[in-house]
Amino acid sequence: MIRFILRRLLASIPVLLLVSLITFGLLWLVPGDPASMFLDAGATAEALDRVRREMGLDQPFLVRMAQWYGRVLQGDLGQSLLLNRSVAGAILERLPVTLSLTALAFVVSVMLGVAAGVLAAVRHGRLADQGMMTLALIGLSIPEFWLGLVLIWLIAVMVPIFPAGDYVAFATDPWQWAYHIALPTFSLACVQMGFVARMTRSSMLEVLGQDFIRTARAKGLPESYVVVRHGLHNAMVPIVTVMGIMVGALLGGAVVTEQVFSIPGLGRLIIGAVLSRDFPVIQGGLLFLALIYLAVNLAVDLLYAAIDPRVRLE
Amino acid sequence: MKLKFLHLALAAALAIGVAAPAAAQKKGGDVVVAITNAPPSLDPHATSAQAARHVNLHMFETLYARDEGAKPVPDLARSVAVSPDGLTYVFTLRSGVKFHNGKTMGPADVVASIERYRKGGASASLISAIDSVSASGPDQVTIKLKTVQSTFLGNLSSPRAPIAIMPAEEAAKEMGKASPIGTGPYKFVEYKPDSHVKLARFEDYVPNPAYKERDGFAGAKIAYLDTVTFRFIPEAGARDAATMTGQVQLNETSDEATAKRLKGNPNFTVMKALPYAVQVLKFNMAQGPGTDLNFRRAIAQAINAEEILGTAYPDLYLMDQSWVYPGSPYHTGRALLKQDVAAAKASLAKSSYKGEKLIFIIDNIRPNVDAATVFQQQVAAIGVNVELKVGDWPTISGIGLKSDQGWNFWTHGFGIEPYEGPASAMSHWVKGQGQRKDDPVIDELFAKLNGEMDVAVQKKLFADFENRMADQAIAINLGDYGLFQVVSNKLKNFKPYRITRMWGVWLE
Repeated sequence: MIRFILRRLLASIPVLLLVSLITFGLLWLVPGDPASMFLDAGATAEALDRVRREMGLDQPFLVRMAQWYGRVLQGDLGQSLLLNRSVAGAILERLPVTLSLTALAFVVSVMLGVAAGVLAAVRHGRLADQGMMTLALIGLSIPEFWLGLVLIWLIAVMVPIFPAGDYVAFATDPWQWAYHIALPTFSLACVQMGFVARMTRSSMLEVLGQDFIRTARAKGLPESYVVVRHGLHNAMVPIVTVMGIMVGALLGGAVVTEQVFSIPGLGRLIIGAVLSRDFPVIQGGLLFLALIYLAVNLAVDLLYAAIDPRVRLE
Repeated sequence: MKLKFLHLALAAALAIGVAAPAAAQKKGGDVVVAITNAPPSLDPHATSAQAARHVNLHMFETLYARDEGAKPVPDLARSVAVSPDGLTYVFTLRSGVKFHNGKTMGPADVVASIERYRKGGASASLISAIDSVSASGPDQVTIKLKTVQSTFLGNLSSPRAPIAIMPAEEAAKEMGKASPIGTGPYKFVEYKPDSHVKLARFEDYVPNPAYKERDGFAGAKIAYLDTVTFRFIPEAGARDAATMTGQVQLNETSDEATAKRLKGNPNFTVMKALPYAVQVLKFNMAQGPGTDLNFRRAIAQAINAEEILGTAYPDLYLMDQSWVYPGSPYHTGRALLKQDVAAAKASLAKSSYKGEKLIFIIDNIRPNVDAATVFQQQVAAIGVNVELKVGDWPTISGIGLKSDQGWNFWTHGFGIEPYEGPASAMSHWVKGQGQRKDDPVIDELFAKLNGEMDVAVQKKLFADFENRMADQAIAINLGDYGLFQVVSNKLKNFKPYRITRMWGVWLE
């Protein structure tokens, strides 16, 4: 197991290098730089050049890239050009916001998605199955930003049950945190809920048709026990695989959700950095997201072994 | 008896009338203002970005500031004495003015702040005429100019990238690193990038005793609110939702559809900040057909400015082609642009344009894209082939501020310069900055205006500038546009201005 983890950690180094190289390449291709954020439309080209010099943006791209890698190797993601703080500081400030939103959306989508998928599989071909799968398809088809805006309009403006954004930190007031994060969570979870429900249904249908399920039923075990203990337990491997992909999708979706609901998280930080060309924040933020993604995938691989003893990590 | 009773009644009525507004003003409360962008810096010298002005001018003040009519008037200065040769300005400072860190403002702070701005301020050219600045007494600062500059006090009071006075120890810090410690009516509490800037009333603030009320960026800046939070909400729908659910009390920029929807709503007032900016259409005069006067004239004759503004800013525009706003003493009320398609075709035939594709750059703000789209159709009618290139602000400004990036047209708002007055409005076209090619006549007019102290002559020079801009079609002034601002009816005495002033307003 330790050898497996070490091997995976070593394998993640070229992935991170590739991510940072691609990001650098894209930033090199995209025109514009953060100096223009300091100036209005009436500014002169000379003023723009002066601000660029002050920000160190007049140096050749390859020099800046070499400096960045040099700093990263020493564990320093650099300084934001616009936020007046370190990139690591800016990321760590927002990380709890994004992680709490993503984790909550993950829990909601897995719990409701698995429940809906199991119900659909058990009631295969009946009205409940068709109803659940129609809902799952709708959930899968709705873009997060559109759902977010509709939810704001319906449940925050027309019938003011939940607030339209205005994030409150968990440490400040847990109740207010839950109240303020409910709509964004639902908006973010909806697509994944549909995804999980469909995966669960198809995996469960496959497992429920197996001989050992018939044997379990023949032994006279209660149906709920057969479905949950024997059916769901064995159907979990493909679902856990989906969960790994889901975390990545949720992190990506959080970028949009945070923008729609004005939540000051990692996604909004990166979008703001992209729009203002705050290069160190874009680089650092994407590297950090890649790290999270790799960690989640490693955790998923470890979970396989926990769920299915036949899986050998070595 | 009856007369005496009438006198008493009148006296009582007067007393109530006078007392009523005072009684209505309440201290306390928290206001949230929704703004579209985060300020790139809270160091007021470092940036001329509009988002920074909104916040910084609540915390910082300048020696001179613009009044409601944009005229420079004393703010942190009590008065100024100008030498007969116009080269020496002796400012007497207001006494007892405190910084947010508790320190009393003195001449050393003023000298350090101005010196810092001269070296690296975002609009350092505003005070490039300064030869020296020194403390000349316990409450005096003397500024010596290299040459006479009629616009010096106007430049010193520019709100664009304000020449803010900060403690000398902050002014010693490198550009962009000064802490937000000023003398303004609100002091800094916290800045959460991507979220908000929070300010709190500065309890030791002493409003300028020369005034009774707020007056532009000057006057008696009385802070009634406990806190003001500027929340950055780039998404228009989210800004509207936050306003309607009461999470924000002022939406600085709303769209036309929301403004219409909320017009009859008893909880909100929809206000127009009009004029807010000139919609300017620039030619790249350094390359392509923009170098050709006949081509530029053909474009000016081909367009219907009212159709462009009416599409981009329905119910929110003024057909006015002066380069300063109505109300300015320099406003000429110029004749409107007149569409003449036949004349445009004739001018185009005389030009060097041969039907090649031309690039129109625009940032992705919807009204700018709408304006460019209507323009594209109008000039297509005379045979000009235009392709729109839409990008975000860093991309487009990076292209438009250089002459060799392959662009031919660019449209954007030109907001603060017409507000500041003729010198500021002209300066953008001096040395070919805006049009990318020098125009010696404009350069000469600008130099003359700077050295001219007689207002009547200044007006004549400015009118000559406007004529030159139109005659040579250096850039096209399409007219003025505004902003819709949505204000909660709980927020009292708010008045649209160049920034969302949160002094002189209170919560009911």
